Amino acid sequence: MAVSTILSITGTGAGIPFTGEFRPLGLFESKFYERPRKPYGSSCMNGHHFAHHKCIWRIPSNRNLNSKSKDSSLVLAIGKENVSKDTDDMYDELFNKYGKVVFRRKDQKPQIAVELANVASQVKAADIKVLFVKPLVYWTRFFIITTAFSRPQIDAIGSKIRDLAEKKYGRVPSGDTKPNSWTLLDFGDVVVHIFLPQQRAFYNLEEFYANATPIELPFENQPPFRG
Amino acid sequence: MIQPQTHLNVADNSGARQLMCIRIIGASNRRYAHIGDVIVAVIKEAIPNTPLEKSEVIRAVIVRTCKELKRDNGMILRYDDNAAVVIDQEGNPKGTRIFGAIARELRQLNFTKIVSLAPEVL
Repeated sequence: MAVSTILSITGTGAGIPFTGEFRPLGLFESKFYERPRKPYGSSCMNGHHFAHHKCIWRIPSNRNLNSKSKDSSLVLAIGKENVSKDTDDMYDELFNKYGKVVFRRKDQKPQIAVELANVASQVKAADIKVLFVKPLVYWTRFFIITTAFSRPQIDAIGSKIRDLAEKKYGRVPSGDTKPNSWTLLDFGDVVVHIFLPQQRAFYNLEEFYANATPIELPFENQPPFRG
Repeated sequence: MIQPQTHLNVADNSGARQLMCIRIIGASNRRYAHIGDVIVAVIKEAIPNTPLEKSEVIRAVIVRTCKELKRDNGMILRYDDNAAVVIDQEGNPKGTRIFGAIARELRQLNFTKIVSLAPEVL
């Protein structure tokens, strides 16, 4: 199914329409490329160290090194072969010269996500996975995917997570309010998915986000139990 | 601008191929539906050997419209087809994957499940 989309910006005071972070190159990538196979900035994304502040800084140079083939597709798409061969170097130069981080989050570590996952494990949620999905989708940072075995258990996990988030971080989630076979709690940069086992196998979100970086959890060495 | 009798493509792998809107859910006499609205639709065309069949009545969320969607920052978003995603009564999508680009307004309208299954969010 070929679907084309037309985006246009009218008016002069358009601001920054795409994102609040200063990532001009990473952001326009989504228009030209398909989903990146590997999360870029991999050199600074080993386990917990991905949140190093240089991640933002390194994006253009990593893209330049890793994705030669993708660059060629960009060349074809734009149709300026001679000019855009050096475009990345040019961008890097410009970025080195003028670029700076104008906005950086204070909470760069996956602290909230790991704590929410910890609470879920206390209510005996099984198979908890925390994925760092920021390189794949712009609209959130962490996915917590977990399985519960009954609707009362989903309710218990959901309310525990809500309580912790509200008490400790002052956040109220949007998403499902009643327990559902796929209950979703959207905290903005953390999205919690609580599935019944059947639904988890059906939707198979882990496969869809297979390229995301999994985050190690402190309680992970316990063997997961499946009903 | 989706109204009763409008035909829509299906943007998921639920098995339906084409829908016809028969009712817009919301107000009692609502004329048009836009991106993020729930409609009642009838399946006009379906892929064989799938759970959904022709002439079944289902609920769907509109994810793409030919009519422009205006944002507050001046951006205008326009697709070249009308498309919807089939959902059940609880709001879960009936398919497991979404096709094509969808708008980020769906997340604000509490369809984050659809957004998290989509390959691209504009």
